[in-house]
Amino acid sequence: MNSKVNFTFNGTRYSGEEGQSIAAALLNSGVTSLRSTRFNAEPRTIFCGIGICFDCVVKIDGVANQRACLIAITEGSQIESSQ
Amino acid sequence: MIAIIGAGPAGLAAARAIALAGISVTVIDAAQKPGGQYWRHRSTVDGYKATRSEKYFSTVMGNPLVTYINGAQVWSATRSEKSIHINYLQSGVEKILACTDLILTTGAYDRSLPFTGWDKPGSMTPGAAQALLKGHGVIAGKSIVISGTGPFLLPVAVGLAAGGAKVEGVFEANSPLRWLRSPLALLLNPEKALELLYYLKQFRRYSIPVRFGKAVTEFTGHSVRISDVNSDLTIKKANVQEIECNGIAAGWGFVPDITLGGILGCNQVVDKDGTVIFSTDHQQRSSVSNIWIAGEATGIGGSDLALAEGHIAGLSVIGKRIPISLLFSRFRKELFARALQVSYPVNPGWKKWLNRETLICRCEEVTCGQILDSVEELKAEDARTSKLFTRAGMGLCQGRICSRNVAEVIGASKEVSVTDSERIAYSNRPIAAPISLGTLGDGISSK
Ligand SMILES: Cc1cc2nc3c(=O)[nH]c(=O)nc-3n(C[C@H](O)[C@H](O)[C@H](O)COP(=O)(O)OP(=O)(O)OC[C@H]3O[C@@H](n4cnc5c(N)ncnc54)[C@H](O)[C@@H]3O)c2cc1C
Ligand code: FES
Repeated sequence: MNSKVNFTFNGTRYSGEEGQSIAAALLNSGVTSLRSTRFNAEPRTIFCGIGICFDCVVKIDGVANQRACLIAITEGSQIESSQ
Repeated sequence: MIAIIGAGPAGLAAARAIALAGISVTVIDAAQKPGGQYWRHRSTVDGYKATRSEKYFSTVMGNPLVTYINGAQVWSATRSEKSIHINYLQSGVEKILACTDLILTTGAYDRSLPFTGWDKPGSMTPGAAQALLKGHGVIAGKSIVISGTGPFLLPVAVGLAAGGAKVEGVFEANSPLRWLRSPLALLLNPEKALELLYYLKQFRRYSIPVRFGKAVTEFTGHSVRISDVNSDLTIKKANVQEIECNGIAAGWGFVPDITLGGILGCNQVVDKDGTVIFSTDHQQRSSVSNIWIAGEATGIGGSDLALAEGHIAGLSVIGKRIPISLLFSRFRKELFARALQVSYPVNPGWKKWLNRETLICRCEEVTCGQILDSVEELKAEDARTSKLFTRAGMGLCQGRICSRNVAEVIGASKEVSVTDSERIAYSNRPIAAPISLGTLGDGISSK
């Protein structure tokens, strides 16, 4: 089995398998919203799954607008919802 | 120097042909792993003919003639008389690769139609469900409904069921009888019947219900409403069934990813089904000398056609003769691709499912009502002017998800059909991926 990777999302600790994307690891942990939309504050998470739609964008270690469906989880990374 | 953008079936087939001839080639892809949208298996998931990829992986990966650059998002490209410069971003660093000959195999992504609730978490494309499962070992929902049209719904349903999800049903909008219109394609592609039998067996094994002439027209977040639809996709009978589920995967075929070829000036045409594709000659050459294009970007046809086209492009780049058998194989698969268009059309009646509150542009949160108002009250003539009023298509995805739907909704409201030049305009964008000015400012290093 792949080894476990720990990270935080909005301050809460989560873990996933090595190689898993941030979106996949969070979905698997029961997180149903990665961010709220700008105008209507609606929850959003993975939609296209392959980097096209930008619904899954999050802030990773301070860098905004990263696609959570493309980027693999790394040990200790701090992920936050972007607005 | 020969470069290939895209390490999916088409790109790998091209790289294999070149490397087997003893010539070096560079393959560049945004993903971490090779295989494109199709071959992203983890060891735990298998599928129909899943082992076929081995032949490509083994000759391409680890071959000293092949340089494989992964995790590299190409955001733009420029060309001069003698060379083509590929600008890409790898781990936050901006780099440039120069080549003399380029093969573009950039693939496609799922086509989505808006419906009430399609923006709620739990609603995603079948491709997303497939990518989560094959690439990350995660099922998209414990109980899930699959809707839309096309043969791709079958492997997605089977994969999810095999992965442990409860697939509540596959709702295919089109009738299977439409296949009777393409007898020659069926006759020349007998192996497709075997593939269908494989899926039927799997459907029985996992007791997945399949219904035709139906579509999901609303998602509440914890249930879907299903309507009976006519062949033109208008609703025959609304809300005939409600199914509790926590996920819906809806997909209506694919949209070719043509951005890079567009930036490089390769000639595009509008296919019969309204998708914008590249026009290529019998050797997969684009209108620009030294650029070849293969795979979904020249028309949606699935992995078999992508493999044949990639193989032909690879041979053509190195000036090798293309065997007649290979050309015939592509012809057979092209016929099948045509049959797919005939069997799984996305007819215009879907616009009748929408109400004023239905979101059309997900990024900028623009509703159907706002788009219609921009036409009626502000006199927007087409998608481009409507966009200026509503911001539909101006978000981070650069209109990849909504621009076709916006144009078609406006066309329908004005009772005119969308012109080819409008289709080409909304399908192209100035850069292939958003890039921050900060990254650019950090300097460009040449590889
Ligand atoms: C999400 C998804 C899942 C799919 N799953 C299946 C499946 O399970 N079974 C099936 O039969 N068919 C599947 N398909 C259909 C699929 O399109 C074809 O079967 C096949 O993968 C097409 O091969 P291709 O080589 O033309 O393109 P693709 O396989 O799409 O490969 C294109 C490659 O180009 C790369 N690329 C594109 N643009 C850039 C850029 N700007 N910079 C860097 N790299 C870039 C992409 O990362 C990708 O790896 C899927 C399609 C999608 C969209
Ligand atoms: S889910 Fe579409 S970009 Fe990540």
